[in-house]
Amino acid sequence: MRVEFQHELDALEAGFQEAGEIVVRAIRGVIDALRTQDVELCDEVIAFDDEVDARYLALEKQIELVLARQTPVAGDLRLVIALLHSGLHVERMGDQCVTIAKLTKLSSHLGTRTAVVESLVDMGERCEEMAKISLNAFATRDLERARTLHALDELVDRANRQVFQEVLGYVNDAEALEWGMRQITVARCFERIGDNAVDIGEQTAFLVTGEFAEFTDASHDTLH
Amino acid sequence: MTQMEAPRIDSTRIAEVSRGLDRSEIESREKVFTVSDLGVSYHGKLALEGVTLDVHKNTVTAFIGPSGCGKSTFIRCFNRMNDLIPGAKVSGTVLYHGENLYDRDVDAVEIRRRIGMVFQKPNPFPKSIYDNVAFGPRVLGMRGSLDERVEHALRRAALWDEVKDRLKDGALGLSGGQQQRLCIARALAVEPDVILMDEPASALDPISTARIEDLMHELKRDYTIVIVTHNMQQAARVADMTAFFSVVVDEDGSGRRGVLVEYDSTTKIFTTPSDKRTEDYVTGRFG
Repeated sequence: MRVEFQHELDALEAGFQEAGEIVVRAIRGVIDALRTQDVELCDEVIAFDDEVDARYLALEKQIELVLARQTPVAGDLRLVIALLHSGLHVERMGDQCVTIAKLTKLSSHLGTRTAVVESLVDMGERCEEMAKISLNAFATRDLERARTLHALDELVDRANRQVFQEVLGYVNDAEALEWGMRQITVARCFERIGDNAVDIGEQTAFLVTGEFAEFTDASHDTLH
Repeated sequence: MTQMEAPRIDSTRIAEVSRGLDRSEIESREKVFTVSDLGVSYHGKLALEGVTLDVHKNTVTAFIGPSGCGKSTFIRCFNRMNDLIPGAKVSGTVLYHGENLYDRDVDAVEIRRRIGMVFQKPNPFPKSIYDNVAFGPRVLGMRGSLDERVEHALRRAALWDEVKDRLKDGALGLSGGQQQRLCIARALAVEPDVILMDEPASALDPISTARIEDLMHELKRDYTIVIVTHNMQQAARVADMTAFFSVVVDEDGSGRRGVLVEYDSTTKIFTTPSDKRTEDYVTGRFG
């Protein structure tokens, strides 16, 4: 029953997963670029973001049509809403990758400091894992898996603070400090990617339970 | 690109699966009907005026609008059903595959074979399921195995599995939804080119309605479908093109007649209609 409508929902979900898969590759791209300080790879990541944007726009357009023409209700409505939100989170993850790539390019002439680069790579790899988990939990409607994202995000946040502390130590070295300031922003971008993965997890929870609740509320966290 | 290789998944899939065909895509298809400045009057009073539009092959075209807008009058022009109404007069032209439907030498019976019609209320003959479907081919003396023809039509109408063991049972024993699919099978049995549906689901429950809508998606691969519906969401769900008709009242209040307000892809009509009257109607603020 409602075969066409089901096809449309399936296509929406496939489109979302496809955008997600591309973003995971973009995250992998910036991790490699950071580790090797590969400026060309940075350019590739920047150009690659058009792929993400195109898919996000297609998804958004298609969701508009489904809402206008199929009037989804109940679980179908939750799916469409969750896809609209999650699609935007994926698109933003892609934007963060672009920023990381640009910053890596900008600071490439300043020389790297191994400790910070290692922390950033570690953050990136955690983010890559989180992005994969968020997409997979959404696809399989796995609430438990979605909830694990919060704990993983704590580790990313911790790594973010470590980078900050490390850069504070460069205060007497102007070049290192300039490089380090840019790396703080890189870390902040990864931290946002982690948050976006958690957001997708929250959308999965909404999809499964019908209730929206943030896994954490940053405005009520105690500052460390 | 070395690392950032192109995605493995075909990115055009979303667009392909979508029924939201754009207008240019639809208009590139063969024209089945070309309607120019069509008007219909009953006993000298205009019921519908100045309608110009094309209907394209293998599409579902929906006519929507408030009561009295002339949408049912209009669909009846496509197989000359208005000929049967005393006092009805049709002006303008309706070309069917380039030939004027209203030429004197056109055989209205042959037209109604090629352009089948399904009505609001299921109207099976008080005969067996089999005889309902076999009736048309028999009358027309169509060649080939009648059994095969009946089975094929019932399969196409997604009814075969439900009735194959009771083909000799009376058609009136079927549910309303099944009767409507039987009427579709009856229309398909004479190998039509076009199926006209005048409110085909308005007497049916939601499940039967969904079945009929699924069927329309299926049938448009082989047929051209024109549907009148007062259910806007049904048009949104099934149609590729949608025409919105409205009512114009004379300034002195002496007469009302239907006019075509906007005709575009269903996607456009239900997301960004060009005419305020269409917007008001589809958003439920008028009519």
